[in-house]
Amino acid sequence: MPALPLGEAGRYVAAAYIVFLVLIVVYVAIMAAKLQRIERELRELAGFAETRQNPVPTGRPAAGVRGVDPTQPQTGPDPNLAPPEAVGGPGATTRGAPDV
Amino acid sequence: MSAFAAILAKDLRSELRTLQSVPAMALFSVTTFVIFRFGLDRTALFGSLAAGVLWATLLFAAVLGINRLFVAEREEGGFDAIRLAPIDRTALFAAKAAALLVYLIVLELIAVPIFALFFLRSPAALVPLAAVALLADLGLAATGTLISSMAVNSRARDLLVPLVLLPLVVPLMIAATGATEPLMAVGGPGYHRFGTWLAILALYDLIFLLVGYAVFDFLLED
Amino acid sequence: MTSFGFGLKTLSTATVVTLTAALCLVFFYAPLDANQGFIQKIFYLHVPLAMTALTGYIVGGLLAIAHLRTGERRWDAYSYVSIHISVIFSVAVLITGSIWAKASWGHWWVWEEPTLVSFLIVFLLYATYYPFRYAIEDPERQARYASVFAVTAGAFVPLNFLAVRLTPSLVHPRVLATANGGLPNSMLLTFLVCLAAIVLLWITLVKFELTAKSASGQVKRLRRALDAPAPNGPSRVAPEVG
Repeated sequence: MPALPLGEAGRYVAAAYIVFLVLIVVYVAIMAAKLQRIERELRELAGFAETRQNPVPTGRPAAGVRGVDPTQPQTGPDPNLAPPEAVGGPGATTRGAPDV
Repeated sequence: MSAFAAILAKDLRSELRTLQSVPAMALFSVTTFVIFRFGLDRTALFGSLAAGVLWATLLFAAVLGINRLFVAEREEGGFDAIRLAPIDRTALFAAKAAALLVYLIVLELIAVPIFALFFLRSPAALVPLAAVALLADLGLAATGTLISSMAVNSRARDLLVPLVLLPLVVPLMIAATGATEPLMAVGGPGYHRFGTWLAILALYDLIFLLVGYAVFDFLLED
Repeated sequence: MTSFGFGLKTLSTATVVTLTAALCLVFFYAPLDANQGFIQKIFYLHVPLAMTALTGYIVGGLLAIAHLRTGERRWDAYSYVSIHISVIFSVAVLITGSIWAKASWGHWWVWEEPTLVSFLIVFLLYATYYPFRYAIEDPERQARYASVFAVTAGAFVPLNFLAVRLTPSLVHPRVLATANGGLPNSMLLTFLVCLAAIVLLWITLVKFELTAKSASGQVKRLRRALDAPAPNGPSRVAPEVG
């Protein structure tokens, strides 16, 4: 098997490494879509939790939720929920995830 | 009578009475031989072509039988009966594998002579072929029983068996055709690496019988 | 059960650093192969991917054994993710192998390379893992049967390699074997760093995937605790990590 000249060989080697890179990026993209879905569901759930809690007029808001008026019932997604700390708990990272 | 013998006897008796698997497998094989005759446009086959046509046909015919292996158990509650009975559940695996082995041997007793009639110029290959076929059948029985029992409880069961089984039996096919090819060579049977291929077949059989024996219990849990 | 995201940042950083080091070594340090020239550089990517994928399948089988013995569903999830990432790596192995085949033999696929052919068969088998798994609706049974599959397939891998290696029609010498034996030290070092990088990548992706699964699982749990309505649309039964 004689070796190909450097120019031609270079293309193939480059193609192989590019394929590798592309696969990694595709994986990241798929995981990004999953993350988006999780975020969307969490937002939905937080809103749901809010509407459940708010019938109590003087009740304290859920721990960690900022800028929400407890006397006003929430009807839609609260823009203040955008920061990651909005859903109750010490932060959105899984560091605080409860034991299973 | 041990549980193994009881289940095996029941299966064989049922097959004798209903004749639902083996005749279909045999008929399928013969028709496939005819298709190959026209598809390849040949009236005589030698070497690798002969081995390939024979083993591919036998494999696909086996899939037909494997698909049907646990259907009776599923439809008539046989699984529950086995679970409730105070027996070792792997008896079911052993009995079903043994039944499948019998079906495959009968299939080959019918299909291989017809193959020789259609395509081979001399029957000299048939005796050593019997040794290859026996070992291959054992492996096919072990793997087929395992996959069949997994697929019978799922949707699209008829699709799953060929899908999952075929890659698993590739090494078996490699060894079987590897041993058969020199047997059907133009100049007469050769035994190039015959022992090696038989050893691989035996290894395959051993591994999948052990795996089947080890995991079958988990398949019956509910 | 600790959270899966813990340590993910450190791991990813380590992976990036090692990968960069590996790439630098491949293109700036490793000498040119006398026989194959520049094409040989593909091996620094292809072989570690293959070795990692195969190990991943075996690990998946071992984790499946753990699941069968303990009955804890998380082992099944670990097994699933190991196999999943290994399947993705297998795609990379087949594509890079094909590119190498085209560069060396002029064809995009060659049956003469037994390792590549074995890999194809193994890949085809593990590709059936998904339709097999998702055809079973009961989650416990699905996990159990998938574990049985993973164990069977794990036992299959070495046997398959042995059988293909002995296939009669192999006339040409096996390049992958000769590429590994008798490597000069500089190439060996490069290879080992590449191997380390790919293994780290595998571990990172597995952890990444498990973290995502864990997060989804927590969302489901939250949903149940709040008695919130389930999301619309059918969702298939998938392995859960808890």
